[in-house]
Formats: sequence, C-alpha cells, structure tokens
Amino acid sequence: MKLIIKDLKKSFEKKEVLNGINFEFEKGKIYGLLGRNGAGKTTLFNCINEDIPIDAGDFYIEDENGSKPAPEYIGYVLSTPNVPEFLTGREFLKFFIEINEHKIKDKKDIDLYFDLMKINESDRDKLMKDYSHGMKNKMQMLVNIIASPDVLLLDEPLTSFDVVVAEEMKQMLKSIKDNHIIIFSTHIMELALDLCDEIVILNKGILEQIDKNYLDSDSFKNKIIETLKEE
Amino acid sequence: METFATSFKLKNTYRVNSIIYSIKGLPLVRKILPDSLYKNKGLKVLGNIISAIWEIAGTFLGKIIYITFMIVFMSYLFDTDKGNTFLHIFLFLTLAGSVLNTYLFNPSKDKYYAIIIMNMNANKFALSNYCYSMLRVVIGFMPVTVISGMLYGIPLWICIALPFFVVMSKMTAIALDILKYKKTGTASNENMPTKGYWIFVGIMIAAAYIPPFFGIVINFNIFTILLTLSFIIGIVSLIQIYSFKDYKKLYKLILTTENVYAFKNATSSDAVKINMAKRIDYDKDIASTKSGFAYFHELFVKRHSKLLTKAVKKQTLFIIIIFAMIIMISYIVPDIKENLNTIALTYLPYFVFIMYFLNRGTVITQAMFMNCDHSMLTYKFYRRPTVILSIFKERLKTLIRINLLPSSFIGIGLATLLYVTGGTEDPLNYLVLFISINAISIFFSVHYLVLYYLLQPYNINTKIKNSTYIVVQYLTYFICFFMMQFKLPTLFFGIACIIFSISYCLISLMLVYKLAPKTFKIRL
Repeated sequence: MKLIIKDLKKSFEKKEVLNGINFEFEKGKIYGLLGRNGAGKTTLFNCINEDIPIDAGDFYIEDENGSKPAPEYIGYVLSTPNVPEFLTGREFLKFFIEINEHKIKDKKDIDLYFDLMKINESDRDKLMKDYSHGMKNKMQMLVNIIASPDVLLLDEPLTSFDVVVAEEMKQMLKSIKDNHIIIFSTHIMELALDLCDEIVILNKGILEQIDKNYLDSDSFKNKIIETLKEE
Repeated sequence: METFATSFKLKNTYRVNSIIYSIKGLPLVRKILPDSLYKNKGLKVLGNIISAIWEIAGTFLGKIIYITFMIVFMSYLFDTDKGNTFLHIFLFLTLAGSVLNTYLFNPSKDKYYAIIIMNMNANKFALSNYCYSMLRVVIGFMPVTVISGMLYGIPLWICIALPFFVVMSKMTAIALDILKYKKTGTASNENMPTKGYWIFVGIMIAAAYIPPFFGIVINFNIFTILLTLSFIIGIVSLIQIYSFKDYKKLYKLILTTENVYAFKNATSSDAVKINMAKRIDYDKDIASTKSGFAYFHELFVKRHSKLLTKAVKKQTLFIIIIFAMIIMISYIVPDIKENLNTIALTYLPYFVFIMYFLNRGTVITQAMFMNCDHSMLTYKFYRRPTVILSIFKERLKTLIRINLLPSSFIGIGLATLLYVTGGTEDPLNYLVLFISINAISIFFSVHYLVLYYLLQPYNINTKIKNSTYIVVQYLTYFICFFMMQFKLPTLFFGIACIIFSISYCLISLMLVYKLAPKTFKIRL
C-alpha cells in the first residue's frame, strides 16, 4: 500500500507554500518530516487530511494490486490535543467505537485499549477536562490508532510527553508501523533519526528524501541542516 | 509627555490594525484585499480617520447618552424642582460611577501591551494616561452639562464645575484604592467589584432616585458645600496619586491575562473557553443508556444542564410569576384591564423581541463549539456528512424542546391574560397567540443552530473568524428591535409569524442538509 502525492500545490494568496509535491509513502515505514518553521508541514498535513482545498495536483492511496481504494480513513494527531472535555475517557472511546463499528477490524474491550496506551485505571472514568496535556494527547493518539487508518499523520506528537511516556509512545508506534503509513513531523532531529525509517525534508515547497543509508550519523545530520539552510 | 505620546501611538496602531482586520473580515471585501494590506497607506489613513472618530465619539457620545437618559429623562418622573433634581441625581450617580469607572484600575488592553509587554515606565504611563482620561472627562462632559444645566436654570459656574466634580470624585476613589493597596497589598479590579463596592453603588443609585420620588432632593446650597468639599479632598487625593511610585507592582496585580482578556473581548477569548469549561458538571450518576450519536448528545446535554435546562426552568418560573402578578393586578386595579387587553391583541410584535432575548440559542451554540465541536471537528470521522447531520438532528430536537418550555408558558400566559381582561370577539385569537409565540421560539432555535452549522465562525483558538456571522447576528437583533415599533392586530401578525417560521425552518433545514457537510468545519 502506498500514499501517492502527485504535483500537489497550495498557496495562500500570493505565497506559494506547497510548490508541486511529488512523493510516494510506503506502508510499514515511519517517515520523519523535517522542515523549518513555516515551511508548510502543517499545511501539507491539512491538505492530505482534506481540511483545506488543494490548488492543483492529486493524492491517493494505492493498494498492492494497483487499484485505488478511496482514502477510507486518515488519522491525524494534532500537536495540540483536542478531546471533548465533557466526556470521560471511557465514554469517548465508547462513542468512537460505536460510530466507527464497521471500520474497526478486531474490536477489543475498552480497557484493553487503555492498557495499550498505559492509561491508569483511576483516570479512565474521569472527565477529560481534568486530564493533563499528555493524557489528552494519549487519548487523541489512541482514537486515531483504534480505527486503524491507512495513513497516520502525526504533527509534533511526542513533544508534550514526559521522557517515560515519549519512550512508550515510540515503542508503540514501532509496534504498529507494519500496517500503516506513518508520517511524523518534528523539529527535533534526534527524534526523527531515532524513530523514523526515512527522513523527508520539506523545503521551498518541495519534498525530498534524504538517503540515510550511506552516511554516518554526523554527516547525515550535517546534510539535513545544509538542505534546510538552502535558500 | 513623551511616554504618553508613545503609548497613545501604540494604542492607535493596534486600533487601526483591528479596524483593518475587521474590514478584511467582511464578506466580498475579503476577496479583494490582499494580506499585505496592513502596509497599505490608504487603508492606514482610513483606519486612522475611523480611529480618530472613535476617540472623539468615545469622549462625547457616552456622556451625552448618560446625561440624557439617566438624569434628564429620569428627572421628569418626579414632581421636584428640575434644577435641584438634576444636581441630586448627578451627585449620587457620580459617586457611584467614581468607583465603577476609575480608568486607572481598568485592566484594559492598552495598559497590558504598554506595561507588561512593552515594558514602559509604569509610573509615567499611568500618570500621563490618567491625566489624558481625566481631560477627556472634563471635555466630554462640559458641553452636555452646560447645555442641560442652563436649560434647568442652574448657574453657569456650577455647570462648568460639574465635570470637575466628576474628576475630583474619581480621584478620591482612586486615592482610596491606592491607600488600600499600600495597607493590604491587594489591588481592586474595577471590572470585578467586590461586594462592598456593589453595596456602595447600590446605595448611591438608590439615593439618586428614591428620595426624589418622595419629593426630597438636595438643594443648591448643599450642593455648593459638597462641591467645595470635593475640590479639597480631590486635591489631597491628587497629591496622593501623584506621589505614589509603585504603579508597576500595582499593575502587575491587575493586568493578569485573565483580567485583560476576560472583559474587553468577551465574545472570543480563552476566558470564554475557561468559563465554558467550568460549566461542565460531572456527577457520577450522569450516564446514558443510549448508543452512538444519541449517547454522545445526551451526555452533552446532561453535563451542561446548568447552561441548558436549568436556565430555562428559571426563565419559565420567572414568566409564570410575572403573568400571575399581572393577572392579579388586573383584578386589583380593574381600570388597566382594557389596556392589557389591547396589549394582548396588538403588541405581539413586541414579543418577537422578548423571544429574541429569552432564546438560549447563542449561548448554547457557543457551548457546543467550545466544549464539544472545537475538539471533535479535528477528528475526521466527526466530519463525515452522516455524523454531522445525525448530530445536527439530535441538537435541533433538544434546542427546540428547551426553548419551547418558556415560550409555551408565555403563550398560555398571553392567552389567559386576554381572557381575563375581557376576551375577544374572535376566539381564533387565543389559538393564534399560543401557536405564534411557539412558532417564533422554534424559529429562533432553528435560526441559531442553522446559522452555526452554515457559518461555523470559530477557529481553533475559539476566535470568531467570520464577519458574516457577526453581521447576521446584528441583523437579527435589529430586525427584532424594529419589530417593537409595530403594533399590529394579533390575528394578522400571528398568522404571518406562523407562516414565516414554518417556511424559514423548511428552507433553512434544506440548506443545512445540502451545505452543512461542507461548511461545518473549523475556520483556518
């Protein structure tokens, strides 16, 4: 399964943000999306998630047989967690599972999902308005994972977690990557190098992949910085 | 002086920018103007002109309205000497205003920007801006006190002294607040007066209007003595204000983000969001046996009962009491029966405005966004057309049901009133009264929800990003307000209302089903 982006363009008024993106993302890999502030990472995500209309180009998911199934479900985890605060964690999951019943492949007991995210039993029946930032983020990530979307977009997802949870989440992402295309945007290069299988750079409105294989870690970092600095 | 000039420029710059911002927000205009328009000279000039008009209008307009409505008009209610009554009400309202409207203790944005963000010299800023605002008080009040005072035969020198009296009492109030800060280390925020202030204000307002009712007003001599006294105390206070050197610390206490944004920008801010979040009540027993959308919606309604059901129950109780009282009075004073009968038969347009005020649509849709859709709309599954429309349906049912409770009692109340005050020749009137009031209520419920779904105006930071939404809101208000001018036969107007409401609901629901899946999303 692949996510194919062809000649995607997006500009705001006169400012061209995405200037013809061409890329193929493959299943089973975690892609680290690096870019400077304002490079258009979030715009790219918003386009793929169909939050904003695109100006030109196309993107679609292609399965092994070459056919193009409709983008059934794209998961998008925002950097600022948004959860309905008037519900408890358990109620939110119940609602989500009920209305997505036909999409969830192997439905599990709600508590098993909480276990997956290592959410304490005492927190499961609290209103989410009393959750910490990190807890809300966990819930948001969980809801996006349950539906098992083909593509999972993560916008700076680990920055709000403490070191222990961040490590847990990294392991969790690695454990589910076989069935998904995971694109992960971050400013933290070490995190990208550590977690991601491929590094993709968004610069001047164009995506380019940095070949990770033949460079050692230091020169690879330098290469990334050089690429990002190019004006 | 220099500090003042800088701070004034600062205030003007952001005012001009917000004027340009709102111009850009208008439909149609938005498409023509580019983002770079904040640099545009012509627009800047236009913005500056509007800003200057704003400043001038702010100086005079409020004071003219205040004197005309609060003093001149009110003085006609009493049989006392007009000149003395004017001075009487002016005296006590000024004292009340001196604690409510201090300028110095108002946590306004311009102070926040200048002192907290730009780190300007707080002492200089406070004193120079205070001088300016007091000057505005004097200039703003002068024409209206002189003109209205002369009309009432008050000596010219008193008329000229009146604005200074306002300044003196404001300064006294501030000096007392500063004294309090020095003693206790706490600062008063004029937008959040403590109980003591409210009691003082209450007593002053009562003192302004109740004694004249019994024919008691202060006379000219007493006023002259008080005026002299205020000048002496005022000057002592001025020295106190001038010699105080800790404005920075004082402002750090008052100018917290919460204070600054809570009141100046009440419709679109984090403060609203915090407020809304506070209204979620979690009770272990609140649960739902339903599933899917109904489950989700039922929990929303139950967890917001304070905002939704409890508020309308209070309204309803209030309506019942009012009607019961009016009906009782009509038995005690039979003379007014005829008037009441006319009201029931010709004042129905008035009730459009009342229904507008009673309807909880705006608050409820706001709560829906802040506490629910704000987060849910970031999930793709929530934006599927089936999900949007299913939840819309649940919400519409609830909103109509909630608003029908008070309106049905108004309907019953009006019909009863009509009956006990002599009835009508055409019994159809009873039915039309009841149905049309409820039709108006349903209209408002549909109107607000449809507006919300079609124009979803908020962005992710819960700021209103859609001027069309604001324009439509104001339009709704003005139309309802103008309705009050009409006095039409209930039968005619009622039937027109019913037909209008039904057709409006049908059309707008069709629009929602067609368009909402596209329009109901977070503004970027």
